[in-house]
Amino acid sequence: MSQTEETIAKLDSENISLMSVSLWQVTWRRLFRRKSALVGMMILGFLIFIAITAQWLAPYDPYIPLIGLEPVTMRAKPCIHLLGCPADKYQHLMGIDGNGRDEFSRLLYGARLSLVIGLSTVTFAILIGTFLGAVAGYVGGWLDNVIMRVLDVLLAFPSLLLAIAIVTMLGPGLINALLAIGIVSIPSYARVVRSSVLTVRETDYVSASKAIGSNTLTILFRHILPNVLTPLIVQGTLGIASAILDAAALSFLGLGAQPPTPEWGSMLGAERNQVFTAPYLVFYPGLAIMLTVLSFNLLGDGLRDALDPRLSHVNG
Amino acid sequence: MFTYILRRFLSSIPVLIGILFATFTLARLLPGDPCRAVLGERATDAVCDEFLHRHGLDRPIPVQFAVYVNEIAHGDFGVSLRYSETVGQILVERLPTTIELTFCALILSLIFGIPIGIISAVRHNSWVDVLTMSWANIGVSMPVFWLGLMLAFVFSLLLKGTPLWLPPSGRLTAGNLAPTFAQVWGLKVPAQGALAAMVEFIGRLNILNAILTGNWSLLGDALKHLILPSMALGTIPMALIARMTRSSMLDVLDQDFIRTARAKGLRKNKVVLKHAFRNALLPLATVIGLELGGLLGGAVLTETVFNLSGMGRTLYDAISARDYGIVQAFTVVIAIFFVVLNLIVDISYAYLDPRVQLK
Amino acid sequence: MKRSMFLLISLVVLTSMILTACGPKPTAVVPATAAPVVDTPVSASLLSTLVEEPFSPVTVSAPSCDYGGEMKSIEAVDEFTVKFTLCYPDPAFLSKIALASFGVQPKEWLNATGGGGPGSELLTSPVGTGAYMLNQWQKGQEVDLIRFDDYWGTKALTKTVVLRWGTESAQRLQELQAGTVDAIDNVGPADFATIQADSNLQILNRDPMNILYIGMNNTAPPFDQLEVRKAIAMGIDRSRIVSNFYPAGSVVADYFTPCMITNGCVGDKWYDFDPVAAKALLAQAGFPDGFTTELAYRDVIRPYVAQINNVAQDVQAQLLANLNITATINVMESGTYLAAADAGELKGLFLLGWTADYPDQTNFVDVFFGAGQNDSLGTPWPDIGDALRQAGSLADPAAREPFYVTAHNLIKEHIPMVPVAHGVSAMAYKATAQGANVSALSDEMFAPVSISGQDTFVFMGNSEPISLYGADESDGESLRPYIQITEGLYGFKVGTTDVTPFLATGCTPNADVTEWTCALRQNVKFHNGFGLDAADVVSTFNVQWDASNPLHVGNTGEFYYFSTCFSAFLNAP
Repeated sequence: MSQTEETIAKLDSENISLMSVSLWQVTWRRLFRRKSALVGMMILGFLIFIAITAQWLAPYDPYIPLIGLEPVTMRAKPCIHLLGCPADKYQHLMGIDGNGRDEFSRLLYGARLSLVIGLSTVTFAILIGTFLGAVAGYVGGWLDNVIMRVLDVLLAFPSLLLAIAIVTMLGPGLINALLAIGIVSIPSYARVVRSSVLTVRETDYVSASKAIGSNTLTILFRHILPNVLTPLIVQGTLGIASAILDAAALSFLGLGAQPPTPEWGSMLGAERNQVFTAPYLVFYPGLAIMLTVLSFNLLGDGLRDALDPRLSHVNG
Repeated sequence: MFTYILRRFLSSIPVLIGILFATFTLARLLPGDPCRAVLGERATDAVCDEFLHRHGLDRPIPVQFAVYVNEIAHGDFGVSLRYSETVGQILVERLPTTIELTFCALILSLIFGIPIGIISAVRHNSWVDVLTMSWANIGVSMPVFWLGLMLAFVFSLLLKGTPLWLPPSGRLTAGNLAPTFAQVWGLKVPAQGALAAMVEFIGRLNILNAILTGNWSLLGDALKHLILPSMALGTIPMALIARMTRSSMLDVLDQDFIRTARAKGLRKNKVVLKHAFRNALLPLATVIGLELGGLLGGAVLTETVFNLSGMGRTLYDAISARDYGIVQAFTVVIAIFFVVLNLIVDISYAYLDPRVQLK
Repeated sequence: MKRSMFLLISLVVLTSMILTACGPKPTAVVPATAAPVVDTPVSASLLSTLVEEPFSPVTVSAPSCDYGGEMKSIEAVDEFTVKFTLCYPDPAFLSKIALASFGVQPKEWLNATGGGGPGSELLTSPVGTGAYMLNQWQKGQEVDLIRFDDYWGTKALTKTVVLRWGTESAQRLQELQAGTVDAIDNVGPADFATIQADSNLQILNRDPMNILYIGMNNTAPPFDQLEVRKAIAMGIDRSRIVSNFYPAGSVVADYFTPCMITNGCVGDKWYDFDPVAAKALLAQAGFPDGFTTELAYRDVIRPYVAQINNVAQDVQAQLLANLNITATINVMESGTYLAAADAGELKGLFLLGWTADYPDQTNFVDVFFGAGQNDSLGTPWPDIGDALRQAGSLADPAAREPFYVTAHNLIKEHIPMVPVAHGVSAMAYKATAQGANVSALSDEMFAPVSISGQDTFVFMGNSEPISLYGADESDGESLRPYIQITEGLYGFKVGTTDVTPFLATGCTPNADVTEWTCALRQNVKFHNGFGLDAADVVSTFNVQWDASNPLHVGNTGEFYYFSTCFSAFLNAP
């Protein structure tokens, strides 16, 4: 046999299919190649770890003030034994907050909250946005116009101001803040889905599917939505980043998480007057927000590049 | 070109109407009694009835809306219930602060963002590229209010006593009255009306005012007070613009016509600036248009941190205090501004890329 | 076809919008009431067009005392005599007319500006007789005052006073340390130690004439049960709150009224902190495992509490730890909060406070437990009200004391609320400021203040004035410029709560304290050169008193201090 035939026979016998590398494996591999995405994933992994193990990692309770339990002054400076703080004083890695609670413990618990905030807002916005975008894109016509106009009106407002207005309508509170941010985020997902739907709608295989008599729902679910998935994932990851930022902003303004919830934005907001006298109470929560948002941004960017078919990477 | 503009303009109108309706409804939906929200301390029912009547709030809603639209068309934005002043007057007083801040932040972000983007695109994958892109990623992830507070801490506290010190709040140093250009030039301006409003508005734009009157110490003072807030507000757009410039430059630099230009022997800089950049401008215009929304939202936070009484902060206070007049008017102004801006962006699209018009 | 339809519709809409814009102007939504609303100033120099009217005697009076207020008549007997006739005896009359809102302005100015209204110059340019006159109000920036050289008394030592504002205490301190301002108000609690340690600064404490209390509505379960209220009264460690969240010098409230007010601290002291007994009481009331409720408050800085967020969170934590009561925090917007409190709509626990307007028990306990109390605490206690009514009708402090003993003991017995603290607030000046003063009533005067080598004095308060017409303002920041610019018949001696004659040389009461006759100082000039006469005084009071007066407009029309001090407006609608 010729060499080619030998190779083919060998591969045949080993039952290896050359087409078995799925899209996800390709994506995963490409993602790992980008250093920035790796950094993002590492930070995110670290955050998830903290969120899960906060109860065991935190040296103090994040809700109970330490007044009466130890000699504590409000907004005391950090006391780190390793860095020279005398061993007879209680250790507080990031200091004490304005109510006598350990800032470090609150920071750890805040990770949990931020992740939940990001995921829930984006999930809500994606669900509703996908529905609206799919309907608008697929049905087209006047329904498309109406939906798009309404979304345009939503987009005409700066998102933070609109979120503030919605929260004021509903009353301050974390749930209401999440709802507001979710509502404000819907248009971008709707648009993404709609444009994907519009592209896919005209393809041959959809026309073929219609020709053989599949009903609308089948077409939507089997053909169109899987194609929408990739831009949605990218948009969603980046959306989590901006949702966390917006939630922090609302809490900073006093409209989101209510005391004594250890949410990073409200921790920052509560101490903003004390930035000159107790800068550590402002610095650490803000840093935490930044790192979290950074990790999602890096991950989102990495996903976008990894899922982009245009980029010609060999050995995908 | 003209038909395109007309088409885009006409399709903005339903959006405008929708906005008017939305702002009207939004303001009315805010819970809380506007009378006691303003008069607060122990206002009796009798006083409140008179108050509601005086401000026309006891008429049926459709009538209120009709009157509202009519007034907006005439440029009459109503009266603020808390300050007992026309909203137009409040706009004239506070909008300049926000405009100056937003404008400076935008300029800053363009001045730094675009060159950084170009440089990292040209030096693709070098350490310069990695450094600037990491910094850009961090910049995009920073909460505006945190950055503002940290900047204030560094420049107003740590650097106190050094020539690098910057003031942490306000627009001008205490007692530094800014004589408006109308006063300095001795203009005779009527006390009320659109012209007076315009003159006062421009007079409150400290930088413009200082330049018009040649008052260089005032200019320096105003700029000094603007540096920190603009830096805080402009960092996110800066990072975004840097990234966007870089990626669109990369796209363009990859293309054949660039290779042709280089092959023809054109110097690298010329190629980059003249050919590549011009084509990279289009997505940039989009980003700038989108960023202004974020800038206005960020303005609320920046104005809170740096104690500037601008439109963002005022709108937030008005929402909390159920000041219908201000809420409606400011939201309408912002929304109209946005629609106009999008229109301009779309038109500049058409100018930059003639293919768009055919769509 | 579709596109042209769209185009057509858009054109129609556009045309109608253009027609509306160019059409006839709509009639004003705001129907003119009796007051002619002045939309915008006729000209910036309205003041310069004023012509002084010669004096003619004028009297304003109520047909009878049935309208329910304190004033019966105000009469300008002659050019320099004003007589007030009251419906009932008022020993605190002088303290009341010493308040900032009763600063005298020229009647011609009140007339010319229409008494207020949107855009009226009265709201932005008060005219008075004080040591300082208004130079200009740069909205959003500062208020500039300049020395009045024709002042009847000791001229101001510093030529210019600039009033600025900063909402954050850290920022105020920053600017004081940097030297860009010369004095600040409401020093943050954390900054007291810093300022005391700084030899370039001096800190001046205000006597705590205020109270912070935890309110409970006795008609809202479970606070309708005495045991529950008592459990909360005993279950919160108030000294912990004061020592951790209040500046040095603040005291735990043993009574509702602070001791610096006469008869403020008589009777039995408040309950001691006893969490064990408190928990037992709660179990007795049927809540061995506690219950869930709300803790409402508004996020403001007041002399009675500088860090209300922290105080609220500590109360919340203590309720949970000591009594197993879960309180959800509800931060409400200031105006909405006060309205809800007044109407008795706060059904959980709420934090509220009070700063005295004038130093008398009638402005303290009476406000909350006497006649005219609002519904925030639920149904009034008739026995407390009786005791207070009897005390308020007497003039002699010693004679009033036994009634206040009774009232305080009854308050302790019924527990309508839990008093927490009397808070110290403070101002900080540069150490080089001579004549620096503070007042328990926030009535600081800048005329006696000077810093050598400076002809401008810069002060930084909390917020921008709402308007400069003090008659219709109640917040300290709006009244501060008014205090420098206008003067009343009486005023408070600098830095004290003692009244002293200002524009009057003296006001003497009749035997049963129902008439006060005031002799005016002569040759007193207003800032625009007009002379002070009794008609100006009558006018100043009348525009506030008579609701049917076309000049009874102001900023919001509330005229808070008049209605608080003298109970009612004449001809109220």
